[in-house]
Amino acid sequence: MGEFIAGANFSGRSAALMARLRERAPAFFIGPYAEAALSGLSSTVADEIAIYRSANSSRPAFAPLDFPAYAARKPPTLSGGEQVLLALHCFSRSDYAAIGIDTALEQLDPGNRDGALAYLSRGAAHGFTAALIDNRLACPPGWASHELTGTTADFACDLAAIHAAPRAAPAIGVHDLSFRYPGGRDIFRDVDLLLEPGRAYRLTGPNGIGKTTLIKLLAGVLGPTAGALTLDGGAYAPWRSGNRVFALATQNPDHQWCGATLAEDLARRRAALARHSVSLPSDEELAKLASCLGIRSLDQHLYELPLVARKRLSWLWPLAGAMPWIMLDEPTLGQDRPTRAALADAIGRLTAQGHGALFVTHDDAFAARIDHRPLRLANETVLS
Amino acid sequence: MTPNGAVIFGFVIIAGALVARDVVSLMVILAITLIFAFGSRQRIWSALLWSTGIVLPLALFMGLVWIGIVGRAPHEIAANVEGSRAAAAVYTAVICLRLFIIAFAIQAAFLHFPGWTPLRFVAALTAPQIAKKLLVLTLSLIDTILQAVDRARTALIAAGIITRRQSWRNLRPGWILVQTVWLTVVTIAIGRTRDKWPVEDTLARLDRTLGGAAPRLGGADFAWAALAIAGAAMALGMR
Amino acid sequence: MFTTPRLVAIALCAALNFAIGNIVYLVKLPIYLDSIGTILCALLIFPDRFAAIACAFIAGFIGVILSGLVINPFLPWFTLTVLAIALVSALLTARATETFRARPLPVPAFAGKVILYGVITGVVSAIVSAPVVVYLFGGVTGSGSAFVVAFFLKTGQQLMNSALLSGLATDPIDKTLQVLLAGLLYRATPREFIAMLAPPVRSTT
Repeated sequence: MGEFIAGANFSGRSAALMARLRERAPAFFIGPYAEAALSGLSSTVADEIAIYRSANSSRPAFAPLDFPAYAARKPPTLSGGEQVLLALHCFSRSDYAAIGIDTALEQLDPGNRDGALAYLSRGAAHGFTAALIDNRLACPPGWASHELTGTTADFACDLAAIHAAPRAAPAIGVHDLSFRYPGGRDIFRDVDLLLEPGRAYRLTGPNGIGKTTLIKLLAGVLGPTAGALTLDGGAYAPWRSGNRVFALATQNPDHQWCGATLAEDLARRRAALARHSVSLPSDEELAKLASCLGIRSLDQHLYELPLVARKRLSWLWPLAGAMPWIMLDEPTLGQDRPTRAALADAIGRLTAQGHGALFVTHDDAFAARIDHRPLRLANETVLS
Repeated sequence: MTPNGAVIFGFVIIAGALVARDVVSLMVILAITLIFAFGSRQRIWSALLWSTGIVLPLALFMGLVWIGIVGRAPHEIAANVEGSRAAAAVYTAVICLRLFIIAFAIQAAFLHFPGWTPLRFVAALTAPQIAKKLLVLTLSLIDTILQAVDRARTALIAAGIITRRQSWRNLRPGWILVQTVWLTVVTIAIGRTRDKWPVEDTLARLDRTLGGAAPRLGGADFAWAALAIAGAAMALGMR
Repeated sequence: MFTTPRLVAIALCAALNFAIGNIVYLVKLPIYLDSIGTILCALLIFPDRFAAIACAFIAGFIGVILSGLVINPFLPWFTLTVLAIALVSALLTARATETFRARPLPVPAFAGKVILYGVITGVVSAIVSAPVVVYLFGGVTGSGSAFVVAFFLKTGQQLMNSALLSGLATDPIDKTLQVLLAGLLYRATPREFIAMLAPPVRSTT
């Protein structure tokens, strides 16, 4: 039977999960982010599967993706959701009798998530037990629920206190945008889009379709193979001139830091954006904002924070309001329901003040709280 | 061919290239290496191009330094004679040819294992288990670092600190990139070492995958080794 | 001695050597920057001196072997240099670990130690490398320091002297830069990782 460990952030769920797994060790573990899902010992997808595969395993394989087609790819090049699916596939080919998943299913689109849950729910038939932490789901039918009620004030956050100043954000035009990774298939072909300020947009689509790719194109991290962007009608090429429009919160918070401490990170952003005549809020205002997100000191070493707190801190840059548009890639991963709701409201307040917002999430409840327009990615285009 | 056989061939050819002193004996060894490459029945152009790509800048560089600036060969310098650019050119040719052979021999060896993953290759080597484990760990961490470089670039571009375009201005935040990459990779390593590996006993799984007897040397291994030994012996004899 | 976290640190530092060293080699600057991982490994595992030497050397060795296979066939021949750098880093440079991690940064002490240990590492490295540069490669290894060798040759120095002088001219600067970068990376490393690298606890029962 599966065990569902419920509770608020910092109630000790992760520690309880690890304790369960240690009782049943050796047990398969899928942590919150992609890097914590895979072994880190393989250079290819085929090797990753080879490390875990057991000749003794008689359970059916969980294969929502065509893994033979992925065989030669390097695991870190897969999207977050694809890496979680790969990890689940490796478990299904192994002989581990127990699996623990710490919020990793939150990165899956609804179809893949339901497939994963269905597989995990058949543990009794296939000779394994499962333990799950998930902030989106309620306890699945037939699973035992274990509720934790402890909490700590250490990283308590108060998103309701965050308000942005009014802002006249520019409209972003996307014209005939095409993109393909070198040697890969087309991700986008001739996409036309208009992103209006004062609005929120939600990017949806299955895992691996190109949501993060679109975000990277808008931020100038990638350059299109064809097409152009405009800013209030004027040409805008962030892949050449640099990004001065979007404040980005990445899916894994560790992928956006620019320093070892928060103070260092903010100082570097300030210095960089001064060149584009973008002014940041003062250190006092940023310290107050960080405190609202649960971080009491700007000298905090970023990588020594617990993961949930690091994720919250990743919202600081977008919520600071320094940039006219914000982009949030799966911002609610690992966050409990009250925090998700508070973040949704904060985003709503930002767009009400004229900022533009673009977000990716598989959490329908979170998205429903924000007045937004859906942008669905499918067939190499974006449908609004 | 087995990975152990490829390693033996590589060692002997490299030893032969090192003892060879003149262009003729190096050409003999190069010919043997080319035969070895063709013997893989794979297309050898990419291996040739790669080796040329490594050596050509060196050749140009050495040409500039030894032929252009110094103007004589090392043995002429040691003998305190005036020397000539021709001797320097021969010297440059010997060094570059030697390096080309070393680089190409390694590439040619990999050609004999098309479709083999690094794990499969390392598992088939005869070496101490801990050495194989370290090699696999390092190779996968190199991949992690390269991905971390990509992620750090994303972070710096999104923060407006660098642009995607090549620019001298992007060199200044080079330290930020190095620091960010290191911190990202260390954090990943902490997560794996503290949580995933202990509870899964993942390294024991790696041991099982890397363990097992390496395939015995076969006829092809002995044949190639014999050819390499012949070439090295010829080079030694021509000294 | 070789706990799992230490194996990870070795592999990480080897990968760091590989990544940074190869970029610099391709750019042909008269510096190497291919031992930052070696020095950093020694700093991380200090104060367990013997383990620091062993782990730093292995990290450096793996780095030069992999670089030799992929991009710079010269490097594996400098294994003795790798050992020398590992020894200096574990026995001398690692004494500065407290200074490197002190908050706030004591700039004069930090700079002083970086320069002192960087120069010592550079001098030792130049002396150990010179015979390899001369006897195996005739004075030119494909790194930018060959220009410096050529300069000394042109001024009439014999090859061994030229290689030694070239090394003494460039290595201390290069190694000081490497000690600086290794020190800064060490400073930024999360406490948890350093704690993991402590010697394994021996059971007394």
